[in-house]
Amino acid sequence: MLALVGVVSSAQQKVVWIGPIYKELAESLTRGFKDYYLRTYGEPIEVTFIRPGGWPVCVDKVREWGGQPDADVFLGSGAPAHRLLQNLGLTVPYKHAHWEAIPAEWHGMMVKDPDGYWSAFAPWLVSNMYNEPVLNMFNLPVPQTWEDLLDPRYRGLVAMCLPYASGTMHEVCEIILQYYGEKDGWAYLRYLGAQVGRWTTGSTDTTHMVTRGEYPIGIAQPQMNAMVARRDGYPVGNLVPNVTILVPESAALLKNAPNEKNAKIFLDWLYSEEGQKYVLMGGYFPARSDISLSAWAAEGITMANHAINALGGKDNFWQLELELLNYDLALAESRWDFVNKYFEEEIYRKWDELKNTLTQIEQVEAEIKRVANSRDVSEALALVAQARALFGEGNLAEARATAEKARAALK
Amino acid sequence: MLLRQKRNKDAGGLWARLRFPRWERALRPELTLSAFAWLVILFFIVYPVSLLVIDSFRVASTGRLGFQNYKAFFSDLYYFNTFVRTCLLSALVLLTTTVLALPLAYILARYKLRGMTFFTALTLLPIVLPAYAGAFAWVVFFGRFGTFNLLLMQWGLISKPLNLLGFPGLVIMQSLHLLPFMVLSLMAAYTSIDPALEEAAEVEGASGVRRFFTITLPLSTPSYLAGAVLVFLWPFTDWLTPLIFGVTDLLPTTAYINIAYHFTDVTRRYMGIVSVVMASAVCVGAFLLLKTWVERKRYTGLSKGTLLGGRTIKPTFAVRMLSYLYVFFISAIILIIPVVLALSGFSRRWVLTPFPRYWTLENFRLIFAEAGMLIYNSFRFTGVALLMGVSFGLLVAYLLARTNAPGRAGLEFVNSLMLVFPGVAVGVAFLRAFWYGHGIPLATHWIIMPLALFVRRLPYFLRMAYAAYQQLDPSLEEAAEVAGAGKFRTFATISVPLLLKGIFVGVIMFFIMAFQEISTAIFLYRGGWETLPIGLYLNWHRGMEFGIASAMAFLMVCIVFVLLAIAARIGGGILKVAWGASGRD
Repeated sequence: MLALVGVVSSAQQKVVWIGPIYKELAESLTRGFKDYYLRTYGEPIEVTFIRPGGWPVCVDKVREWGGQPDADVFLGSGAPAHRLLQNLGLTVPYKHAHWEAIPAEWHGMMVKDPDGYWSAFAPWLVSNMYNEPVLNMFNLPVPQTWEDLLDPRYRGLVAMCLPYASGTMHEVCEIILQYYGEKDGWAYLRYLGAQVGRWTTGSTDTTHMVTRGEYPIGIAQPQMNAMVARRDGYPVGNLVPNVTILVPESAALLKNAPNEKNAKIFLDWLYSEEGQKYVLMGGYFPARSDISLSAWAAEGITMANHAINALGGKDNFWQLELELLNYDLALAESRWDFVNKYFEEEIYRKWDELKNTLTQIEQVEAEIKRVANSRDVSEALALVAQARALFGEGNLAEARATAEKARAALK
Repeated sequence: MLLRQKRNKDAGGLWARLRFPRWERALRPELTLSAFAWLVILFFIVYPVSLLVIDSFRVASTGRLGFQNYKAFFSDLYYFNTFVRTCLLSALVLLTTTVLALPLAYILARYKLRGMTFFTALTLLPIVLPAYAGAFAWVVFFGRFGTFNLLLMQWGLISKPLNLLGFPGLVIMQSLHLLPFMVLSLMAAYTSIDPALEEAAEVEGASGVRRFFTITLPLSTPSYLAGAVLVFLWPFTDWLTPLIFGVTDLLPTTAYINIAYHFTDVTRRYMGIVSVVMASAVCVGAFLLLKTWVERKRYTGLSKGTLLGGRTIKPTFAVRMLSYLYVFFISAIILIIPVVLALSGFSRRWVLTPFPRYWTLENFRLIFAEAGMLIYNSFRFTGVALLMGVSFGLLVAYLLARTNAPGRAGLEFVNSLMLVFPGVAVGVAFLRAFWYGHGIPLATHWIIMPLALFVRRLPYFLRMAYAAYQQLDPSLEEAAEVAGAGKFRTFATISVPLLLKGIFVGVIMFFIMAFQEISTAIFLYRGGWETLPIGLYLNWHRGMEFGIASAMAFLMVCIVFVLLAIAARIGGGILKVAWGASGRD
């Protein structure tokens, strides 16, 4: 009897995932896949999910294993992580059974790797989040563009984290830097930094701040967070900004996966219609282009209704109409560490100074406006514009001095 | 003394010789025990902490040792500011607790008022409540759209919500948490002053106020300082409350963030370690300073010593009413914590309304159904730590109280030092010392969790055991030894039963403090080892549902409260139990 138990337990089917996906998705997929495996192969499978942290930590972990991984599938995170894994030779190509159902690219962004290393199973847009009742209480409109967010009326009402603490926040910085160009991009991020009311510990912490109404605006939110929060009854909305990128949340097979056969069975299932339903029920948008959310809703999957609402009535994620940034992945990869470090040193650590300087400049501008009708303010205006430029460059002491010069020029 | 030496020479009776081996006497038991105690301390405290200090000198780029990290720490305005801000926070917290505690302690110690036992218990409650539980409740109640702001807006008292979190909120929250330490220290001071001194002042014609400032206050200074140091050092060790309040530029919080989120940036990690070492240095330094100062300054005078309880005063009606009002006010603020946690734990989606609208048991169902592991782990780790703590603590208490073994002073010092040593430092040091590649990979086994709890929380048990020993008349033990029992037999059959009450209170205090530990555990836990506090933290940090975190905090408060009630019942009153706990984290 004991021997029998021994045999059975050693032959226990296993699959191990590592990745940064949210707990709810991991639980949903575990439930669905266990059920599928038992149904199809007549024996149970043990699923283990390892989530050591955000994607950089997950990649580090796989790197630490040095080609002999304790996991089979890298589950989650976008193109940068998967490109890195691919370049390090830690993943191997596997074109799953539903490869063709995943679009190759979308508005100029890759959705799957042409060589079969990775493909998206849950796409989302980098977006922001807002709490409508709280904005109403402050009599403030919903900001629509990146520019809107810099309106002084939102000062102190914005929650966000540091780019090193969240991959999504890093992407926001990169979006801004590529959209505005490096110089104006950093200037924008300085202005945005001055708007912040609270630095959070990560993008989920930000979600929390907004759902609880502590801060009405949260920067750097995966698009589906608002959908899940709304399902849970929180009055929040999704703020897809005018410029953004797609994050093709992808899965890949790890090299030397100890349970390779089961890993492949899992990947085939993950992209099947059934697997995609569990993706949706786990709070993410499904990735197949041939599915109809309204048909799923008719089948009784309530989450499909939430997804349709979150997608503005669209029946499939890929039907969203918007323009994406022409994202330079190679550039983003090359300055990854620099962006994190520079942001922390130049914006986060100078937060108080940024706020004080900007307030001072705005005060001078208000003074100029008051006297603009009665005298010539062109010199003061030129000086204050110069102060703003200096602020954008991060030359804060000089910016304040120039603002004072502008004030003096009024006298 | 003579008796004991005699016993050592003629080696007791036949009985003892039969049951207990000769080596016990041959090796001079106290020397062996002392050596063993020191080995444990060297291995679990000195060794890891030394590695941590050495690491703080490691230069990221070369991997060699040097002063670069410290140079960077002091020349980088950011790190220097975190240091200054932490000092500022400490000073403000100290000021607030002092102002709040001076009258409170006076009322509780001097006025005999009805129902004061109850209020004493209530005002001392934060001492055993986890600090983070209070912070959660505070966020819910005093948040931008928390109950307090919403009610004020409903009543038309304010039009826009007040921001009560952030730095000022943090000062109030930490002060509230530390208030009991101050109250206890001041009560100790007030009750230990010889009534004759104050009476003399009154006879000489000094008014109540004058008497307070010229006699009572100066005489209470040493006791006050003992509490003040604990209060002052708390902001150097507490990283979680600031994090919940959104204040990150403080020394322990920076240290935690840098170490926990360093990713591939090694410099960041070393700067985090430097922050930890700096915070620890402040704690150890202040502790040493206090020790030498108090020992020099103790006002013994010609006082003949006092009765327990000290002097009591019968207040006038007006003073009595004012006292009640004040005590009600403090109690109400403290009661916010368990009440809000309960409201939040039994509800869901409680946002933007002053009180919950949707009541449910779902949060508790989830905790028990899906997070049963957390509760199991908490009890398992705390239980194992307790076994270690009791066996080791009894041994050290015996060494301290009953022998003149060498190194006793050092043992006592290291143990009291652990009361003020930052938990983050212990966690990082353990991870450094007991991980692969650095010697003994203890941290790969779950035993590291109870070990860390044991190291951090031992003082709570030790104090109680030591105090119990001091109250136990040595002649009882000597009688047993004279009658022929060996040292171990005497210990087991005479000392332990007589010590039981004190030990039991120590056991419960140790359990309460170990049960809620998070600062060290957060660095050491691995998947499957999560405890209730860690689950609580992760639910707050990653999860969407605040109710689950609140329910967990409420559950912890309940467990702690039940344990505390038992301890108070056995230990002869809440005050005595609280003494044991005053000096934490």
